[in-house]
Amino acid sequence: MGLQIISYLCLIVFLSAVGLRIRKQWKMPVHFRWELYPVQHEPREKASYGGSYMEEVNWWEKKRRKSLINEIKYMVPEILLLRGLREENRSLWNVSFPFHFGLYLLFATLFLLFLGAIILVSGGKVSPGAGAFSSLVHYLTIVTGFLGLILGTLGVIGLIHRRLKDPNLKNYSSPLDFVNLFLFLLFLGVSLTAWLFFDHSFEGARGYIYSLITFGSWPEGAGGKIGVLGGFAAFLASLLFAYIPLTHMSHMFMKYFMYHSIRWEDTPNVKGSRLEAEILNNLGFKPTWVAPHIGADGKKTWADLAAPKPKEG
Amino acid sequence: MPEALKPSDISKPSKRLAHIRPEELPPLPPPYEDFNNKTIAELKEEKVAKVEASLDDTIAIGIPKPKNKEEEESYIRAFLSGLQKLFQKENNWGFLQPLLLSMDHCAKCQTCSESCPVFESSGRKEIYRPNFRSEVLRRLYRKYVKPFGKLSAKLTGDIDLNWTTISRLAELAYRCTLCRRCASVCPVGVDNGLITHEIRKLFSQELGIAPKEIHDKGTVQQLKVGSSTGMNPVAVKDSVEFIEEEMTELAGFKVEIPWDKEGAEVLLLHNAGEVLAWPENVGAFAIILQAAGISWTLSSESVGYDGVNYGVWYDDVQLARVAVKHAEIAKKLKVKKILIGECGHAHKALTIIADRVLTGDLNVPRESAVVLMDDIVQRGKLKLDPSRNNFPVTLHDPCNLVRLMGIVEPQRRILRKIAPKFREMTPHGVENYCCGGGSGFAIMSSFNFAEWRTLVSSRKKFLQILEAFKEEPLAVPKYVCAPCSNCKGAIRDILDYYQARERSNLHYGGLVELIVNAMEGMKKPMIKFGEE
Repeated sequence: MGLQIISYLCLIVFLSAVGLRIRKQWKMPVHFRWELYPVQHEPREKASYGGSYMEEVNWWEKKRRKSLINEIKYMVPEILLLRGLREENRSLWNVSFPFHFGLYLLFATLFLLFLGAIILVSGGKVSPGAGAFSSLVHYLTIVTGFLGLILGTLGVIGLIHRRLKDPNLKNYSSPLDFVNLFLFLLFLGVSLTAWLFFDHSFEGARGYIYSLITFGSWPEGAGGKIGVLGGFAAFLASLLFAYIPLTHMSHMFMKYFMYHSIRWEDTPNVKGSRLEAEILNNLGFKPTWVAPHIGADGKKTWADLAAPKPKEG
Repeated sequence: MPEALKPSDISKPSKRLAHIRPEELPPLPPPYEDFNNKTIAELKEEKVAKVEASLDDTIAIGIPKPKNKEEEESYIRAFLSGLQKLFQKENNWGFLQPLLLSMDHCAKCQTCSESCPVFESSGRKEIYRPNFRSEVLRRLYRKYVKPFGKLSAKLTGDIDLNWTTISRLAELAYRCTLCRRCASVCPVGVDNGLITHEIRKLFSQELGIAPKEIHDKGTVQQLKVGSSTGMNPVAVKDSVEFIEEEMTELAGFKVEIPWDKEGAEVLLLHNAGEVLAWPENVGAFAIILQAAGISWTLSSESVGYDGVNYGVWYDDVQLARVAVKHAEIAKKLKVKKILIGECGHAHKALTIIADRVLTGDLNVPRESAVVLMDDIVQRGKLKLDPSRNNFPVTLHDPCNLVRLMGIVEPQRRILRKIAPKFREMTPHGVENYCCGGGSGFAIMSSFNFAEWRTLVSSRKKFLQILEAFKEEPLAVPKYVCAPCSNCKGAIRDILDYYQARERSNLHYGGLVELIVNAMEGMKKPMIKFGEE
């Protein structure tokens, strides 16, 4: 049960860290607009060349049109295929894509393992010939798991190699960047070895998820299949889960805010709106910048200081 | 080959961190090969003895060196205090969220590097790599702002903080034009342009350090005298009166430029630099608006006749002061909207950034003049004869107007209608290259900075212009249309420096000049090659 407790703790750290990061973003004060075009929620005819609603005469009198479909059409290949990196930095994409796609496949594997464990908890079986759905879960788990481990391992080896050999990357890399990559390599290497020699059908891994769901019990016959290596892989996976949201690797999900809250955040301020109320609140903050021309004294608000009265000349 | 610099090298004292070598710069094609040997004039020892000059071959600010250890330590304390304030909502609510996201999520993949015209055109000098200065700030932030930073610095990337670090970082913030091309290619969404902007802000708002052209002679002078050009209301009215006379002669009918007309539909905000350097632009606006029957006015109130807002490049308080003043004037005149003339940063400052400063009655609608011009042209409110513009024309896209504001097509629709030999640069639109004069560079000329700008930061634009016209014979005059005052200033300097009028018959100007040049019934042409 010791390993399971570690996994539970790591899951708590993961959920808390993700939650705190997201909460922090939601609590951020409204910022100045800083969008960058193309803004993908513009209608297709404008998004295609990077146009904005401000291309219209008297745009404030017109109803704004936004396209969620455009946004999705842009984001799906961006997330799944790393389109931006492929277009702008192909040689890095050659190693970064397999790594990231490998991780996506492992997330899918985790989901399938969870699904399989639920089937087992419900008294079913996950094996060939155990019904269409169970068979599908069985085979899909093997395919996504195998591909995920292979792609991820190749990708992380490629990334380590690039970061060590390319001075443009090496000179900017910190020891922690290498620690992160080697942590992934360790997890992927151990998992791949465990799969290769002990757990071809991920039965042991599914059993471990089962044990997490049932707080310690194992499905019949699966307990022994996870083995020492499988257990170590589960330990490393748990550790990574907890660790990722604490690092810059949280860009996996924080990218949402970088796009939606900054790059594409083009909401115009309208009189009487909630946005205006938030701006008014921010204008009430009391800055303490000390350069003489600012004239701040800790009592004057931003609104006071914005009244154009230069202090020097 | 010498080993490439690392971000931590910024703190190690040396005579110079980077040196531009002519043989490393992207070569210019014929007939400009002789410029391939040009180097930036060496800074004279006696001129730079008392100011910070150890970054590269030029100086943008000229920060006085500390006289003693105490002064040096006080600089460091002030820097650290400003650094803390960048990450406090009371002090930096306007950029806190974007800054934190860009600080915390860079994967250091360097995808941004290849998009930067300064990095590329400098012969890939490491200090100009977009992520170099960002990584310096990032390390300082992690070490001095984040909890346990000093303990974790060895693991996350260490950096020493001393006078050399601070003074070089301040200078380095003025080797980026804030074009944000790097941000547009970042796979994660990190914005090095924003980080540069924040470094500038820290120095201005906490240490009172900024280039004099954009602070003392810029926002401070604008708020005090009325314009960054130094023109007071009397001087500007005199100059515009002269423009009225010139335009009346050119048009063959009385051209009137209205002042302080209450209740007008439009308050036109020019970059006052146009009045002095390109009066034909001011005149062309007057002719078009009058011919189209638009009710419009200029303001003669202090600040109201100068649409520039240099605060957008370096200081949020100065930005807010100028923007509020513009809005107050529009409110007082009871105009329906503010029309922003051909000035890119004025667009960005008043329409985009100040949108989250102006509230209530100060939130007067703002519109780009390019958009209204397009409307006038497409609705057929002017009689136009495109054959009058029967010369090759290419379009420069001001970053502030295009990539940062999404106004891309109106200017192209106009050109397709009035310039039969219009052709695009490569790349263009939201992928454009900066003119090299962005973020204040066009007006900065202390020491040898203008030469650095022309040789390095504007080099890519010059190559683009040459490429756009490469099939055209020398005898044919060619027009670079740049609907932005700062861009025009930078392009003017490029053409002067490389003698491009003489060698390639290259000329430049705004968009409205081309429109008026195509108008039927004008007594004289607006564009007279060789007379600009």
